[in-house]
Amino acid sequence: MALKPWLAERLPVAEIEAAIAHKTVPQHRHSIWYYLGGMTLFFFGVQVVTGILLLLYYRPSAAEAYDSVQFVMTRVPFGWLIRSIHSWSANLVVAAAFVHLFSVLFLKAYRKPRELTWITGVLLLFLLLAFGFTGYLLPWNELAFFATRVGTDIAGAVPFIGEATVRFLRGGPEVTGATLTRFYGVHVAVLPAIATVLLGLHLLLVQYHGMSVPPSVEAEAARRGRRIPAMPFVPHFALRDLFGWTVALAMLAGLSAYLPWELGVRADLFAPAPAGIQPEWYFLWTFQALKLMPAYVLGISGELVAIAAMTLGAAVLVFLPFLDRNTPRSRHLVTWGAGLALLFMVAMTLIALAGGH
Amino acid sequence: MPRAWMSTPAMLVAGLLAASIALRAENTAPARQPQPAAPAYAGPDDVHVRAGLTCVACHGAPQPGSTAEAPVFAPIARAAIAPLCARCHADAAYMRQFAPQVRVDQFAQYQTSVHGQQMARGEDRVATCSDCHQAHVILQVRDARSPVAPSNVAKTCARCHADADRMSPFGRSHEVFDDWSGSVHAAALLERGDTSAPTCNTCHGSHGATPPGVDAVANVCAQCHVREAELFRDSPKRPLFEMMGQADCLVCHSNHEILRPDDSWIGFESPAVCATCHDESGGGADVIRLFSEGLRGLRRDTDAADALVTGAEEAGVLVEDGHLALAAAREAHVRLRVLVHAFAAPPFVEALTEGREAVARADAAGNAGLAELDFRRTGLAVATLFILGFLVTLFLKIRRLPPIEG
Repeated sequence: MALKPWLAERLPVAEIEAAIAHKTVPQHRHSIWYYLGGMTLFFFGVQVVTGILLLLYYRPSAAEAYDSVQFVMTRVPFGWLIRSIHSWSANLVVAAAFVHLFSVLFLKAYRKPRELTWITGVLLLFLLLAFGFTGYLLPWNELAFFATRVGTDIAGAVPFIGEATVRFLRGGPEVTGATLTRFYGVHVAVLPAIATVLLGLHLLLVQYHGMSVPPSVEAEAARRGRRIPAMPFVPHFALRDLFGWTVALAMLAGLSAYLPWELGVRADLFAPAPAGIQPEWYFLWTFQALKLMPAYVLGISGELVAIAAMTLGAAVLVFLPFLDRNTPRSRHLVTWGAGLALLFMVAMTLIALAGGH
Repeated sequence: MPRAWMSTPAMLVAGLLAASIALRAENTAPARQPQPAAPAYAGPDDVHVRAGLTCVACHGAPQPGSTAEAPVFAPIARAAIAPLCARCHADAAYMRQFAPQVRVDQFAQYQTSVHGQQMARGEDRVATCSDCHQAHVILQVRDARSPVAPSNVAKTCARCHADADRMSPFGRSHEVFDDWSGSVHAAALLERGDTSAPTCNTCHGSHGATPPGVDAVANVCAQCHVREAELFRDSPKRPLFEMMGQADCLVCHSNHEILRPDDSWIGFESPAVCATCHDESGGGADVIRLFSEGLRGLRRDTDAADALVTGAEEAGVLVEDGHLALAAAREAHVRLRVLVHAFAAPPFVEALTEGREAVARADAAGNAGLAELDFRRTGLAVATLFILGFLVTLFLKIRRLPPIEG
């Protein structure tokens, strides 16, 4: 029995084929940015596959975590490759997501009717950061241990619920094996479950609404009385996507072979913190901003002010489609605001990388 | 037994000050021991203050004519200090009240010491209790501020023993402190803060301080260097040294300026200590050659294996087995340096074989790491070729797609 007729009797195969055949992607001078979403999805897929493979050997306890990762790196056939790809891809997925976010922001793709696409996308970025934060601790090495201690300490500055939040995050007053087990559970169960729902919704909305055309391109086409060219999704866009993904795969393989991810020194709970403890690069700007804050601002703890500002920034980001009134003035404001935010993040990161001076 | 006579803190401080003035007056006499300045501290950490003792416990009643608010006490003659301290510190029943396990043999030991014996002969320039423990601000030995705390003992002894004027009448060297300061022991104690490292009293005794005799040196060193002493005791060298009247360990290691041993100490050329008695043609030359070549060879091979393992690791391959083998090789090297004290080939050869096997394992692990690295890079090159081929195919396919309608 042929598969297609068999499936057609049970699923709307013809409708799906028709939808795919009719699906197009606008073609203009900013179209290159449309590939960033697919690239982020590719790296996320790599994370899922390599993460599942690492799960086969990883042991989430303070006594065994480091040794199990070392076992993966030294004894398991191609274990070094899988772990290195997972670590490199973890960084590249965040990088791709940030570029995707800013491209959507600058091209104003969050406008009506894509508000929910934007909100699910921003929440997915936050989830990726949470994946990064929880996954960083799992090898249980010295850098990860102290970075987690510093990172979770920040939550303690929040009034009323700070201490309880720190205890909840750590599974106790200090970063211990209980924190590791907790982070592991969040990393491999809680976050993937939420990510599956959000990613499904995000992709569904992208398919439903199609790609957004930037206002400047729309205005130019209207002025010239021309239709914006469109590229068939299959095969034109899909093959280009595949080309990009293959390049990304080659890049991951090269990085893993020539710059395999270090395991570092085993965490010692009683050792003093080594010099130069820093979080992952995507948290460096927040880390540096917190460091540069004065102890008090108008009598309020500087750390608290920074946390409040970042929370406000995150809220503005999530609800941006509702704050932008879609007028030329508000769009201009968003472009400048996003540019300044990007400049601030890059500057803080560079200062932190230069040693915090 | 002494009893508290004054109890108010004001009177205590006044009494201590007055007593210190009296002591200082006595210290202006020539040929006295160097005393610290007047007690600058008479707080609750002083062991006697904590025990509730006051001035009169040692000095007796104040001088006639002094007032209760500013009592003046008579100084205590130097020769009388140790017996005075012993009134309490040699009384087990009395001392038990304050510290049930405290020793009470200090005075008995002092009487056997060079200091105590000289003092008994009327030479009161030698050290007595208050010279090391201070007269008034007496702290627990475990208190880091105490002059007899491990890290301060040498400096306390040096106040007299590094003073050429003070030592020359007794025919003693004043260079011992400088010698010890350059030793591996001083480095361990003062630089690494290892309070178990030897200082003056570790070898000479505290209260019974006496230079160890030729026969006792090996036993003194054996307090810490147990294995070396054990091997030496059973070695053919010991009866020879005894016959020659040599002080065992000191023959090669000296006494105060004890340096970290080096492989170059064994051989026939300077700075080898063996060369003092041996040459290449004499008896024992084969063993010396074995020791020298074994130690240097194992170190050289271990360093080479280390470079190999490190090279593989820096290229990104974890070589944990190599590190374990290197640790075993270095441990074998340490054992070899200990086994030198047996002055015999068989145990040395056994440990040397183990060390060489460990080096071979480290070499194998390092080479396996480099082979793994080659495999990875070859694999990457092959994969890249496939990926490039796929990309070219994709590119050609994309170019052949129908043009986009505009």
